[in-house]
Amino acid sequence: MKHMTIAKDGIRDFIDRLVKRCRVIAPVESGKILRFREVSSGEEACFDFHNTKLSPKEILFPQNEVLFKYSKGRGAIEAEAGPSKNGEWVIFGIRPCDARGITLTDLFFSSGEHKDLLYLEKRGRSALVGFACIHPLNTCFCTSTGGNPFGREGMDLLLVDLGERYLVEVLTERGERLIEADRGLKDASEVDVDTANKLSRVAEKSLRTRLQMEGLSEKLDGMFEDPLWDRVHQKCVGCGVCTFVCPTCWCFDVVDEETADSSSRIRLWDTCQFPLFTLQGSGFNPRPTGKERMRQRVMHKLNYFFREHRAFACVGCGRCVRECPVNLDIREIIRTIMSE
Amino acid sequence: MNAEVKGSGPEEETSSEGRWEPRIIAFLCNWCSYAGADLAGISRLQYPPNIRVVRVPCSSRVSPYFIIKSLQRGWDGVLVSGCHPGDCHYISGNLVARRRFAVLKDMLEYIGVEPGRVNFSWVSAAEGDKFSKVVREVVNRVRALGPAERLVKVG
Amino acid sequence: MGGNEEKIREVAGRLLRDGEVNLIIGHERGTLPLRSSPCFVTDPEDLDRLIWDPTCDINLAKYLHGRDERVGILAKGCDARSIVVCASEGQVEMDRVVILGLPCHGVINRKNIESEIAGREILEAIVTDEIITLKGEGFEEVLPTETFLDDSCMSCRHRTPPVYDVLIGEPLPEASEDDGYAEVNELESKSAEERWDHFVDEISNCIRCYSCRDVCPMCYCKECFVDETMPAWFGKTNEITDTMIYHVVRAIHLTGRCVDCGACSRACPMHINLRALTKKAEKIARDRFNFEAGISLEDTPVLGTFKQDDSEEFII
Repeated sequence: MKHMTIAKDGIRDFIDRLVKRCRVIAPVESGKILRFREVSSGEEACFDFHNTKLSPKEILFPQNEVLFKYSKGRGAIEAEAGPSKNGEWVIFGIRPCDARGITLTDLFFSSGEHKDLLYLEKRGRSALVGFACIHPLNTCFCTSTGGNPFGREGMDLLLVDLGERYLVEVLTERGERLIEADRGLKDASEVDVDTANKLSRVAEKSLRTRLQMEGLSEKLDGMFEDPLWDRVHQKCVGCGVCTFVCPTCWCFDVVDEETADSSSRIRLWDTCQFPLFTLQGSGFNPRPTGKERMRQRVMHKLNYFFREHRAFACVGCGRCVRECPVNLDIREIIRTIMSE
Repeated sequence: MNAEVKGSGPEEETSSEGRWEPRIIAFLCNWCSYAGADLAGISRLQYPPNIRVVRVPCSSRVSPYFIIKSLQRGWDGVLVSGCHPGDCHYISGNLVARRRFAVLKDMLEYIGVEPGRVNFSWVSAAEGDKFSKVVREVVNRVRALGPAERLVKVG
Repeated sequence: MGGNEEKIREVAGRLLRDGEVNLIIGHERGTLPLRSSPCFVTDPEDLDRLIWDPTCDINLAKYLHGRDERVGILAKGCDARSIVVCASEGQVEMDRVVILGLPCHGVINRKNIESEIAGREILEAIVTDEIITLKGEGFEEVLPTETFLDDSCMSCRHRTPPVYDVLIGEPLPEASEDDGYAEVNELESKSAEERWDHFVDEISNCIRCYSCRDVCPMCYCKECFVDETMPAWFGKTNEITDTMIYHVVRAIHLTGRCVDCGACSRACPMHINLRALTKKAEKIARDRFNFEAGISLEDTPVLGTFKQDDSEEFII
């Protein structure tokens, strides 16, 4: 594997050069929070952070996306595809949990015979440049779900903060092309690589939340009627925060926004926690209360998805734990299930 | 998406000199204001042609959603007109509506919709003259504000 | 607030044991520093979970909707007012509810505290009415609770619940003379364009998660107006006009009903200042209709009634 380094203060210049060749998306301050947004210069990006408020899924799978538009012209219906931004994208500053989340999202959108071309097309021209987690948060539990604070899944380059410079691990050909002959990068020394490895071991050890998740899926199999579900959902208010901040939630609704003569078909983020999610045209709702909906969320992420792909639909990023307005904590739910 | 679609939003209109003309949607209650508008017509009173009338049974039929939706669809101004308090054909419709309109107007102006975009009046069936004056007043207000932009849905 | 935990557990225990209620709704310690979480107790053995301190920021009135049981509910002033509003709208049957009123010095604003700590992770926190003790890796800080109270608490006029069955703690004087409208007044003094730019900026981060709506006890419609499809009035994307309208219409629906508990602003994951809108709705109810929500069970909803002399200065 090729290792290079780039000076700490050289990162912004590197982005300035990248921006000339492709679109660069990085964490930026948006209002009072940090979010992935397109930048036009390295100045705009923020690298002093734990993680962004929303996962980078909003770049590849935005809150709303126009699938197509149609309008009634003279005697004919004219349709056009939704707008899309072309060109290569580099998503800069992704944490290993989020990059792993993207690989799981890839699984979802490409499984079976109906592949989601909208997502896959964007994904196909995205490069992911990751930032290793030197200081995982208290709410992080990536290792419990099969990830690692220095995980490389899904990334094209991994940057490790060594203090005065970043170690740059080149993981794919695409990553190689990104840094090709860039004057800001030098070869890394053995000491650099060693330091990074040390940081990796320290980071992994520092994770405070360690959940026993082996056998969780099998356990859940027998728990559909368990009285646990009556308790677990009680405080949930049925909003969409956990779903919308989650790197591995991808349910969507499709709506037509119409005027008399034209319409846009749009797909939007949706959540299984909304009562309307499974409301049928007849008025019947197979998940009528929060109990069924909470059970569904846990079952899907930690059982059904695991059965199909041998990976939990959870990367342990901890966003749902931090953002839930009533402090409903998936870690507690997992602990309760495993102890039953 | 083009907000100016036949039947749901204003078609762009220009005067013969090519100037922009305000497009105003007017919700008129059947028993008073619509009759008043009719009287203005019969009396051959002149008033600007910029309004498109929607007849409703009572001013209280006008939900705030109609008004907001009109602004979204690109109408430059909205007028809602009903019977004078005490004269409502349904006794108290306009009295209930009055509070609703006050709250809506206050909130819309608070978030920055220009005062003068959304207008309310009481016009009785006998007030053809007042109707023509109200329309002139509203058209002038909206003309001074220019085309509506703030809540317009682009799609 | 802290000194009353024993009393709370005692009263709640009595209610459960005597069969006066089947369920106690209160607060318990959260799983993260500075957090509490709603707590549902049916077994008197579990009453030790109940806590009461400035982290108890959730409006528990939310959880009264759709219940058959007889419930004992812990209520701050704002929570109790929410219960009154819901009862006056026929959503809560007061004879199935026992309100354990809690005089309250205010709840903390976590976002302000985290901002003060500037990105360092808080690992432990102890919060009293006087001080907030924060510990993290390599730091310990003590902050005065008063400075980090939620904005709605800073101008609270109902620190003692106006309606209750049992009062746990001594009645408290009002927080201040300040009516809490400073921010609204400041916005009102700006031009329409400045206001529009301000709100577009503020609202632009909205992801339509509806956390604001779903933590609000007064948002109990089975079908929210944004979800209506026949017709679909407004869009659900984050296009600024649709998102702005969602928030404005929600504020309009809350006119004369919102008690400014602040739960919506606290819940918002994108740090949007929703109180700038809800507080305006509250001000309209005060200025136009001389009405304050949730004080008396005999109230009629402001938009469901009228007076002959209602203001109509805006009508041509």
